[in-house]
Amino acid sequence: MSTFFDHARAQLATHDDTLRQQLWERFVEVGLPSTTDEVWRYAPLSDFDLDNFVATDSSSDVAPLASALAAHAGVTVHLVDGVLTSVDGAASGLSISQSPAETSIAFEHYDGDAFALLNGALTPNPVTIRVASGAVIDAPLLIVNTTTRSNSFPQLIVDAGDNSALSVVEYLSGGENALVVPLTELRVGVNASLHFTTYQRLAPTAWHIARSGAYLAKDARLRQSVISLGGHYNRSRNDADMVGMNAENELRTTFLGTGTQIHDYRTRQFHIAGRTRSTLLSKGAVADTARCVYTGLIEIEKGAKRTDARQTNHNLLLSPHAHADSVPNLDIRENDVMCAHASSVGPLDELQRWYLESRGVPREAAERLMIQGFFYEMVATFPEGLGAIVEADITQALAAATVVTP
Amino acid sequence: MTAELKIEGLRVSVAGKEVLKGFDLTMGAGEVHVIMGPNGSGKSTLAHALAGHPGYQVLDGSVTLNGVDLLSLSPSDRARHGLLLALQQPLEVPGVRPYDVMAAAGAPLDGLRERMIDEAERVVLRPELLERFLNVDLSGGERKRAEMVQLGTLRPQFAMLDEIDSGLDVDALSAVARRLQAATTEWGCGVLAITHFSRLLQELTPTVIHVVSAGRVVATGGPEMADILERDGYEPFRDLARA
Repeated sequence: MSTFFDHARAQLATHDDTLRQQLWERFVEVGLPSTTDEVWRYAPLSDFDLDNFVATDSSSDVAPLASALAAHAGVTVHLVDGVLTSVDGAASGLSISQSPAETSIAFEHYDGDAFALLNGALTPNPVTIRVASGAVIDAPLLIVNTTTRSNSFPQLIVDAGDNSALSVVEYLSGGENALVVPLTELRVGVNASLHFTTYQRLAPTAWHIARSGAYLAKDARLRQSVISLGGHYNRSRNDADMVGMNAENELRTTFLGTGTQIHDYRTRQFHIAGRTRSTLLSKGAVADTARCVYTGLIEIEKGAKRTDARQTNHNLLLSPHAHADSVPNLDIRENDVMCAHASSVGPLDELQRWYLESRGVPREAAERLMIQGFFYEMVATFPEGLGAIVEADITQALAAATVVTP
Repeated sequence: MTAELKIEGLRVSVAGKEVLKGFDLTMGAGEVHVIMGPNGSGKSTLAHALAGHPGYQVLDGSVTLNGVDLLSLSPSDRARHGLLLALQQPLEVPGVRPYDVMAAAGAPLDGLRERMIDEAERVVLRPELLERFLNVDLSGGERKRAEMVQLGTLRPQFAMLDEIDSGLDVDALSAVARRLQAATTEWGCGVLAITHFSRLLQELTPTVIHVVSAGRVVATGGPEMADILERDGYEPFRDLARA
């Protein structure tokens, strides 16, 4: 039986690419993380074996929402196991391509991150979505990112030129018993606006280890939302570097953990330039014996005056056996800043629930509405038309969750 | 059988302190009962206890609606049996839409959205505000009117209104009072209105006014009671409470 390493070396042999080779060698050197690494301590790595992810075919029932979502998108991009298979529709100023390397991600940012290195070595090739300077793309761009094999390393670069605007919805599905390791880089040019939403609906058996890094120029605005329902282990690391003055980053993340799922969210808002603003809202719920962890870092560089950074994390416990950890961190090297963080872990708000009950809503239905509400709040920022489809899908997924309240 | 709400000897404590000390009131379908009294007299406690708020503990007494023991029911069953509270400070519930709440509360789905819009217009609330999450980003006055939309949509046999008039401008107050008055004939809604002010009563005709002091009804009278309170204040009634 072939090992993951055999499989990876065979993959590498199909490319004549020194960068891939270097990244692979670096991955071998760094090795897989272990739970003694602080940033991996919540991951069930004792169950993790790369050799489980070499068989070829994975799930068959993939992307059930794709055509409904596509009906509301201007352009739809299909990625299958990281390979760009089709682009439907077009918009002036928007180009989409998959080609080797010249636009590659700056891997010096990811040195030491085993999974990012693995993505760099094994991705079919980076998919680049480029918005020309000044181009304002009205209709949303949909990315249907499907995993059909037992491993997938999609790499995506969104490059929004100066004064451009784009809204992207990425929908991940498939991935039965698969390892799915997306790496995404968001470059937001001067005074550009990018709205990037990820709707993660992978199989409950998938290992999803995702990372995104954003770079914001002067006056750039990035609104990012991450909604996760799938995955056995779902890790989502979302970083934003506010490099230019007056850049603004809003990040919203949410999830529902059921069964034995683990949701592991990590964020880093790095304020390099002055007058930059970040708002982070992370809300999630865990039921059954699911666990979640939120670890967020706000970092403010010396000289980044008048920075405003806010971080809020709320975790709902829907069962006495579910567990949530919240670890906010601040690293502030400048005095002239506004910075706030708040976090809570607990059951549903009793008074809100009573208010709904006092209208005649039975308790269980009230709880379901409130949990749904976590997600609906996130979906409220979706582009027109797509939100209703995702809401309906979430509602259906939540109907299967059990809520046990004290 | 006409509907009847009957409260007898109700004693309620809040945070270990007895606030209602033997409250009695009986009202029938289509009647308008107004409860007036100074701050701290127990008016809001009555409303919250009847609606099953978790912070209010019933010590003694009974509340029946058409003979059904209301206090043994869950908050949602109380509402479904026909007693609905409109809050003084309606809570925000982020991510939850008014339409979904009304549907989950058992409002008939057929034409529901249209009925809600119609109710909003009757209390001069911009219907598009119903698309926002429950009470989120609404002003105090808009929230009060949103409560009235729920009331008009759910059509309870008895509606309790906890200071529905506070925070409303004159026009909104007038629209709310007219809506309540109409409800008394449209479906025979009994209205139990808690208020500080007699202004509400210019367009909502009370059947009975109850003056509450120190957790009990100390005086009951007709509409003329509002004028007496306007003139003399609550002070003369405090002695009755001590008696």
